[in-house]
Amino acid sequence: MKMKQRDKQKTYQWVGKRVQRKDGPEKVTGDLKYMTDYRYENMVWGRVLRAKHPYAKIKQIDTSRAEAYPGVICVLTYEDIPGFNGFGIVVPDQPVLCHDYVRCMSDAVALVAAETEEIAEEALQLIDVDYEVLTPVTDPEEAMKENAPMLHPSGNVHTHVQVQNGDIEKAFAEADIIVENTYISPRQMHAFIETEGGWGILEEDGSLTIRCPGQYAFRDRMQIARVLAWNPHRIHVVSNPIGGGFGGKDEITVQIYLALLALHTGGRPVKIHYKREESVIAGIKRHPFKVKMKTAAKKDGTLIANQVIAYGDTGAYASLGGAVISLAVEHSCGPYYIPNVDLNGYCVYTNNGVSGAFRGFGVNQVCFAMEQNIDIIAEKLGIDPIEIRKKNVYHQGGISSVGHRVTASVGTWETLDVAEKSDLWQRRHHYKNNPSEPWKKRGIGIASSFHGIGMGIGLPDYGAATIELLPGGRFLVGVCSEDIGQGNGTVFAIVAAEALQCHLDDIDVIQGDTKLTLDSGTVSASRSTYVGGNTILAAAPNMIQLLIHTAAEIFDIDPEFVEHRDGKLWKTIPVQGKEVLSYAEIYDYLYQHRRETKVEGHFMVPTAEKMIGKNVGMPHKVYGYQTHLVLVEVDMLTGETEVLQVLSIPDCGKVINLLGLEGQAEGGAVMGIGYTLYEDTVIENGLYKTTNFTNYILPTFKETPHIQTIPVESDEKSGPFGAKGIGEVVMIPIIPAIVQAIYDATGARIRHLPATPERVYQAMKEQGMI
Amino acid sequence: MRVSEIAMVTPKTVMECLMYLSNRGQDARLLAGGTDAIVQMKEKVGRPKIWINIGKLDELRFIREVGNEIHIGSLSTHTELANSKLIRSRASVLAEAAERVGATQIRNMGTIGGNIATASPAGDTLPALYVLDAELELQSFAKKRRIKIADFFLGPRRTLLQNDEIITKIIIKPMQENEIGIFEKLGPRRAQAISIVNVAIKLSMGSKARQCLAGKIAFGSVAPTIVRASKCEAMLTLGLLTDQHIEDIGKVAWREVSPISDIRASAIYRKDMAGALLIRGLYRLMKRWEDQ
Repeated sequence: MKMKQRDKQKTYQWVGKRVQRKDGPEKVTGDLKYMTDYRYENMVWGRVLRAKHPYAKIKQIDTSRAEAYPGVICVLTYEDIPGFNGFGIVVPDQPVLCHDYVRCMSDAVALVAAETEEIAEEALQLIDVDYEVLTPVTDPEEAMKENAPMLHPSGNVHTHVQVQNGDIEKAFAEADIIVENTYISPRQMHAFIETEGGWGILEEDGSLTIRCPGQYAFRDRMQIARVLAWNPHRIHVVSNPIGGGFGGKDEITVQIYLALLALHTGGRPVKIHYKREESVIAGIKRHPFKVKMKTAAKKDGTLIANQVIAYGDTGAYASLGGAVISLAVEHSCGPYYIPNVDLNGYCVYTNNGVSGAFRGFGVNQVCFAMEQNIDIIAEKLGIDPIEIRKKNVYHQGGISSVGHRVTASVGTWETLDVAEKSDLWQRRHHYKNNPSEPWKKRGIGIASSFHGIGMGIGLPDYGAATIELLPGGRFLVGVCSEDIGQGNGTVFAIVAAEALQCHLDDIDVIQGDTKLTLDSGTVSASRSTYVGGNTILAAAPNMIQLLIHTAAEIFDIDPEFVEHRDGKLWKTIPVQGKEVLSYAEIYDYLYQHRRETKVEGHFMVPTAEKMIGKNVGMPHKVYGYQTHLVLVEVDMLTGETEVLQVLSIPDCGKVINLLGLEGQAEGGAVMGIGYTLYEDTVIENGLYKTTNFTNYILPTFKETPHIQTIPVESDEKSGPFGAKGIGEVVMIPIIPAIVQAIYDATGARIRHLPATPERVYQAMKEQGMI
Repeated sequence: MRVSEIAMVTPKTVMECLMYLSNRGQDARLLAGGTDAIVQMKEKVGRPKIWINIGKLDELRFIREVGNEIHIGSLSTHTELANSKLIRSRASVLAEAAERVGATQIRNMGTIGGNIATASPAGDTLPALYVLDAELELQSFAKKRRIKIADFFLGPRRTLLQNDEIITKIIIKPMQENEIGIFEKLGPRRAQAISIVNVAIKLSMGSKARQCLAGKIAFGSVAPTIVRASKCEAMLTLGLLTDQHIEDIGKVAWREVSPISDIRASAIYRKDMAGALLIRGLYRLMKRWEDQ
């Protein structure tokens, strides 16, 4: 492969090595204090009054009893909002505090600040809201019918995304085999260890500080400012460190509530920190999908047509639902070339909570469907599941199923090849024939997927970084993109250390602060290594120029006679004085002369040549690819599935931090296992049946199998050192791979996730396997 | 009642505790490991005026052989039960059950007395106690009484325990040389989960291969209280416990249970799983018996 040649040419000091996370020790020892861990002497507690019904008209809100309650500092309703009463990343259709209708149980109706958390909670009970209860709309297909109640003036279909290529009817007529199925996927919860929370403080100078974990501090600041009708520059948002994000802190969580309350507490810091039970109700979730997929192939396994109708339940408000559906449609045919497609995605409003961004962003749901259909085709045609995939993948320079030429690196075939050559695949019959107990059966499954890096065409996607020379010749790298657990801070440090030829310990990284960093875009869309790395690589030459020019000034020679080598500045002509200068000496000189020691770098994310139809964001220029191979064991008596082995094969371009990549691959695999086997936030008639982690079943360490990660490094020329992104795709193909392995073991097909013991048992019973 | 306003007393002796109870039993709740009581307090379903913190009553923390009985102090934790040599060798079914409760942290805090007093139909130690013919010693300031575990439970979270009483010890019959036992649990995941169905089995084995002389089977999480499976028990001795006979016994299990549907599982799945767990348990027991 190309990367190997490049490696021969250049050896890196830091890039590609196994580097321990800079934030690792303080996080594993518990030394790090998260923002919600703090308490202040004069603090007050904020609480949020939620809707009492999933759909109701608000007739009247009476806060007088709550206001009179001893210990209550303020009670706020929609009347107390100075600016625009709404938020939402794309369409701000979610009220900060509801005034006419509540449309889901997540809706906020009032805010309370009180001396203690208990008083605040009691005060919530004293707010009298008079509702006219309405019948909730709880199914997307029902919501699309004409007689369904309209939840928003624009109707219940928030977006319809469509891609059509070729002649689908002709292709179906010419097909040797057609497979058609309906797949249903769950409402996964981010389940971050730190629930939503933070601080709001009105400073003495009249500015506002919001300390709240988030995934895009600058956008959070904009959304707060819009509600307050304030100049955003008067608001300081600190969004790092974070006890996990996964997309669940991409949208506004409590920032606006904190800001509103802080304006009414006389300068006392106000804290909100959701209990898990409130987080379950208030937080966004992964879109549950129903995917109808009809896939056609020729006898030799060539895929020729795919028809997709995907319904995504976005709940009561849009958040990023439109973008999720768009990404789902873009990725609905997998990393394959299918010439005839008719792909439709509907993002539909219901009264079921709110769905939004979540690792994978719509791709998980369609990958589950597509990979299952391929497996069924392969089985019916008697073709090996790896062979059929290898046959249909597109390569670099080839055409994708949505019809654009993919110019960036594509490593799908290589990931499949690694899987094919693995011990687990080569000796699969041996592994399968030795179950741990006689009534158990084993199976193997394989699947591939891909995931776009960045926002896609038509959406502003940029980044910026600062590098500051510090005393002692160290550097401070500033990238706003937060570390939501993925380890991007360490990646930024590695890229900077490599570019600046210094030791990793001489790089400090600052993230998530609107005062101390530049706007670097979101932490989402698998983009922070790619974008953040590139911004640092844009800033580093500016720093090197500063170092060279300063050295030239000290040497008293022309800058062209200064060489930057081995982390020092060398004189290349024989004149009197020092031969070499360290970064520390350069700093001292700049400091003594009161000169700027900070530089910037900016990066615009390259886009594909043209948009697919009118679908903003589609397509992407760069994709990460991934294959998963899994071994499972199913208890035929109970339907329990245990994942025994996982082989994770990402194509992430050049690996920046091997240890970090393994962390992402393992975490992604476990999250995928959770999605496939255990997790679902159950909502019935708009009401949450799932309450907390007692009945939201996450995989624990006992459900964590042996996971091996073998990266395929397809060199991506536009990436930092050849890197792409990996944050999301590492959790995706494991989903259909497990389902396929269950089929391989039991003969039963699972089309409704999660594949709980009961679902697997039912499927085995219904399909006549037991 | 605000959580912050709930008083707490920490008696140093059982008698001191019983004295409190005899005076203020109506207003008080006992707090042992707190793994259930604290959750209930958060959910606002159990907020007393006074917590009586019995966690320090070390005189109720023991496991010992007394004559032909094993006496277990009610404040023994699940971890202590699971690690006890005596329980592991002479009441292995209880050790297995204790080991499957919650997570390590829960097992370190939660007590067997608490598991009994909570009276959840899904309590994991309870089926094991049923097949070990457990009796409970209940004590008030005025008197002691001893009752069979099967008589103690009135329904979910309802027991015979009076306001002025505490469970002081649990008395079980140790398993004999020819007795084997197993605890099987099905939860939504392998660890740290509430049982969908659980079952404890104790068999007395004869001299012939797979010959069962007598047996006890108790199911949890499939009825308002733990239920003994009398039809299945009767079948145990009808023939040798061949794989075929085990499957036949399993097929009858659904008749012994009356489960409900909840967020963890449907009633119909629970009915099927009663049989599945019984079959799995008997398969595993036969393998153990043959390997030993």
